[in-house]
Amino acid sequence: MHGIAALQPYVIGLVLLWASLTKLFSARMRAEAGRTALARLAGPARAVPALRLAGALELVVAAALLLPPVLPVEGVAATALSTGFLAYLAYARLTVPESSCGCLGAHSRPIEGRSFARAGLLLAASVAAIWAGPYTGGVWAALVAAAEVLVLLGLSPELDRHWLMPLRRLVVRVRKPLAPGPQGEVPLEVTLRLLYRSRAYCSASARLVSDVQDVWDEDGMRFVVYAAREGLAVFAVPLADADPAGVRVALVGEPALA
Amino acid sequence: MTTRRQMLKSAVLGGGATVVAATALGSLGPEAAFGQAAPDIEPGAVDPNFAEGRIRSIKDNTLLVLGSNMVFHSIRVVDGTSLWKLGPVSFDQAKPGDGLYARGVRMPDGVLAAESVWLNIVNIKGHIRNITGDKLHLDHGGKEILCHRIPGKSVAIYSDSPPSADLSPLRVGQHVQILGAWRPDTNEVDIATVFSAH
Repeated sequence: MHGIAALQPYVIGLVLLWASLTKLFSARMRAEAGRTALARLAGPARAVPALRLAGALELVVAAALLLPPVLPVEGVAATALSTGFLAYLAYARLTVPESSCGCLGAHSRPIEGRSFARAGLLLAASVAAIWAGPYTGGVWAALVAAAEVLVLLGLSPELDRHWLMPLRRLVVRVRKPLAPGPQGEVPLEVTLRLLYRSRAYCSASARLVSDVQDVWDEDGMRFVVYAAREGLAVFAVPLADADPAGVRVALVGEPALA
Repeated sequence: MTTRRQMLKSAVLGGGATVVAATALGSLGPEAAFGQAAPDIEPGAVDPNFAEGRIRSIKDNTLLVLGSNMVFHSIRVVDGTSLWKLGPVSFDQAKPGDGLYARGVRMPDGVLAAESVWLNIVNIKGHIRNITGDKLHLDHGGKEILCHRIPGKSVAIYSDSPPSADLSPLRVGQHVQILGAWRPDTNEVDIATVFSAH
């Protein structure tokens, strides 16, 4: 147990170091500072200074956590900072729900459940760090810390494009969710696009006074009926052929239908 | 119905009538719902021949619609009215709760005689967050919208190619525009057309 607590300052320290460096040195972060909740809360003019101040604060706490000696006050400072994160997230979620969090890098996603989970985990780790002693070794403690880092990374929407998107692409490639099934019905839109490109439609379109009124398939053709000034316009569109020259039209007068 | 269809079929395949003369009439396709307003409207003025809102009730051939600006519209659907709901549909497909755009002619009694009614039509842009089963998970300004592929109806247009019923070239992470029909009071949409840049 003591071994696990002993590694917490390093886990929190690394996360805070990453957060502070992106806030202090990332040009993209500065460019997108206006979109973060911090900017909405502090005012657009103070967005970048506020971001830098938060980054500097994180850097100081990160340095204290990472550098010896290990003191309980460092855990207390990290706890205070983590509590601040949670309060900031909750306040931002309530007041400016559409803005991004600006926690660990630039991205345009609004604050979501994962951001809260990450801040909560950080808070728990910070509380544990108050009782941290010097690390004396231990495989389990190292494994727990490594798992913690992985969970923290997984809870970071900023990193999704590096692992989640490629993973989802891979799953899509393997499972082929949208693969076309056995040759099914040809969507009407496919027929209509072919119809619109045909000379038959161009010659008759000015006489049409409705949208599609009736559609049916027969003998490898799709018949599309519109109301026309004189009665009805009937188009015969080949289902398998993509050549608009195969489209035929007839204008049928109302008396013929009676 | 069959005899009428047989008659129409023989008319078109047997040569049919020739077409003469031409006058102007706009497109009635779903894209026209988002087309430009008639040019004779003053900027900022209300277009009297357009209505939008959600259907509160349906009586005979009249839709009572509450607009998003809390103005009621009476919209009359006549024989020549085109209705769209993921494709051309008949009047009985219009249900209370459906959202709509309608274009037509405003009658002296204030009723809009509709030429075209687009039910639940939405035009959304976003990034594909994930693809599972028959669904695209679209990230639209941070909100997730579930877009369902409807076999036999949904198509994709890749760049300038003709529409295709095959949606499998769509990739996670890419930007798309989706024309579809909203499922009222959900974050779900049935796909009519996916426009993809590549």
